[in-house]
Amino acid sequence: MRPLPALALAALLAFLASAPGAAMLARGLGLEGTPFDTARLLGLAGQHLLLVLGGAGPAILLGIAVGLWVTRPSGAGRALRPVADAGAAAAQAIPPVVVVALAFPALGFGAAPTLLALALYAVMPVLRATIAAVEATPPDAVLAARAMGMTEREALWRVVLPLAWPAMLPGVRTAVLLAAATAAVGSLAGAATLGTPIILGLQTMNELLILQGAAATAALAFLCDAALGGLAARLTGGQGAAMQAGGDRT
Amino acid sequence: MAPTWPRLLPAGLALAALILGPDALSLAPNRLMPGAPLSAHDVLPGWAWLAVPLLALGAAPWRLAPLAAAGALLVLLAGLGAGAAALLDGAAPAARATLGSAAWVALAALAALVFWPGQRRLLAAALLVLGLGVLAWGGVLDGFSLAVEFRARREAVGAALATHLWLSLSALGLASALASLLALAGLASARLAAFFDALLGGVQVVPAIALFGLLVPLLAALLGAFPGLRAAGFGAIGATPALIGIALYLSLPLLRALRTGLTATDPAVIQAATALGMGRGRMLAWVRLPLGLPHFLGGLRVAAVQAVGLVTLGGLVGAGGLGALVFEGMSQFATDLILLGALPVVALALAVDAGLGAMERRA
Repeated sequence: MRPLPALALAALLAFLASAPGAAMLARGLGLEGTPFDTARLLGLAGQHLLLVLGGAGPAILLGIAVGLWVTRPSGAGRALRPVADAGAAAAQAIPPVVVVALAFPALGFGAAPTLLALALYAVMPVLRATIAAVEATPPDAVLAARAMGMTEREALWRVVLPLAWPAMLPGVRTAVLLAAATAAVGSLAGAATLGTPIILGLQTMNELLILQGAAATAALAFLCDAALGGLAARLTGGQGAAMQAGGDRT
Repeated sequence: MAPTWPRLLPAGLALAALILGPDALSLAPNRLMPGAPLSAHDVLPGWAWLAVPLLALGAAPWRLAPLAAAGALLVLLAGLGAGAAALLDGAAPAARATLGSAAWVALAALAALVFWPGQRRLLAAALLVLGLGVLAWGGVLDGFSLAVEFRARREAVGAALATHLWLSLSALGLASALASLLALAGLASARLAAFFDALLGGVQVVPAIALFGLLVPLLAALLGAFPGLRAAGFGAIGATPALIGIALYLSLPLLRALRTGLTATDPAVIQAATALGMGRGRMLAWVRLPLGLPHFLGGLRVAAVQAVGLVTLGGLVGAGGLGALVFEGMSQFATDLILLGALPVVALALAVDAGLGAMERRA
């Protein structure tokens, strides 16, 4: 999605999530329930964002590092390539909520199961995008760089990465959006996120609460999307169109 | 043969879990209380350590490695089963012997060795499934609390699996209809096609839990305004919000697959077909659809895998299915109930992915 409409949608949804906005909508729709305090919702949004950054941030870096390692022309990492593919495919098939649920008995109530799922699901799209991006760099460019006397490492930093990284950005976008969604699901295992009002509302059939949590979660996702889209457009100077390619979600 | 050192990673993990892991099994007084952890040394009978040389064979660079890994997994599972039976022998009837994290890590690592990309993994997987069947049928696994929980809830698990499959298929059907309509409308106008793309792309950004959550109050308001809908079987909670939400998510991959599949035909082939005197209808039936089949199947695979996962989350809004078991288990902190819901979801998702993937490659 383009950054500007995404930002507008985020603002609209954030207004609907706030106590006055939700109360207005509830009157219009004829819903009942007591609205959630806006300040509390903002606090949850902060915790949600912290969880996403803390879980997905290091995992994204790890995914890029492993992706570069397994695509090096020489080196032990190449043997990992088919494993990385199979792992990414399996991770894409298994829904994150199942990983949260399976980690829950082992890691207990709280943020830990969610962090594990977040990290797992942030590595895979980035890893896959990195491998694809590096393999799509023209071999001639690398050959030319090596012929000019660059070492393999120099060729990686000065030729492969500058050419490949715009194609890696969609993987980062998928990872962050998946992380924002997974964090919301994590409130089932006791993580304090914007999913908390949704779960609470579903348990007590407080429709207003569900609406607020859902609107806030969606607003956060659109905000992340807009931020990443804007960043990509600025960094790549128009090549950011690749970011809108969207794609795989679970 | 490709370098095989990465196989040492799961092999080492399995070995470390078996030798150093504190909790291969735990003995609990009942199904909800935490148990006392027992290591593999405490519970495995002597013969079960045969799993270790088999594990080494399973990591070694030779042709039958996946089969050896499957053997190691089966021997370990049988050993754990025997250990669990021995623990329960003489214990109170409510006592449960539960597989601990060391056992799960070892079993999962061995399963990774069995399904490792490479040759003979299909044969090894078949051996594994056959062996699991024999162990289950022979009662070797009966001591595990998971098996006890399954016996107590056999019907609920079966019903949840049936609901899960039915909801996944319904969502897939609904999404296929929607995607076909949108594809047809998009053919009529490029502007309309771009609009649908933006709309469905925007839906993809919304986390599923939020979309389901938004649909619940919106449907409640709609049902309040039109009570006739409630009589027709629609509800604000249950299958209605889940199916609508899932179909919205699945439409994008299906729409994209339809579009690429229909437009990917080589122009030379179209020319040849035109020269043969084919009209538009026959062109579609004899040329465009068969040639687009790999694309259609690719989109269907993505959508079907997503459907299995999203239906799990649908359990949250009361749609039932395996997700409902998982969430019930989480609310009771009952590990076995979580596993009874989660393991079939994993198996189903991986099987759908592998099955449709094989069809896609063959098409």
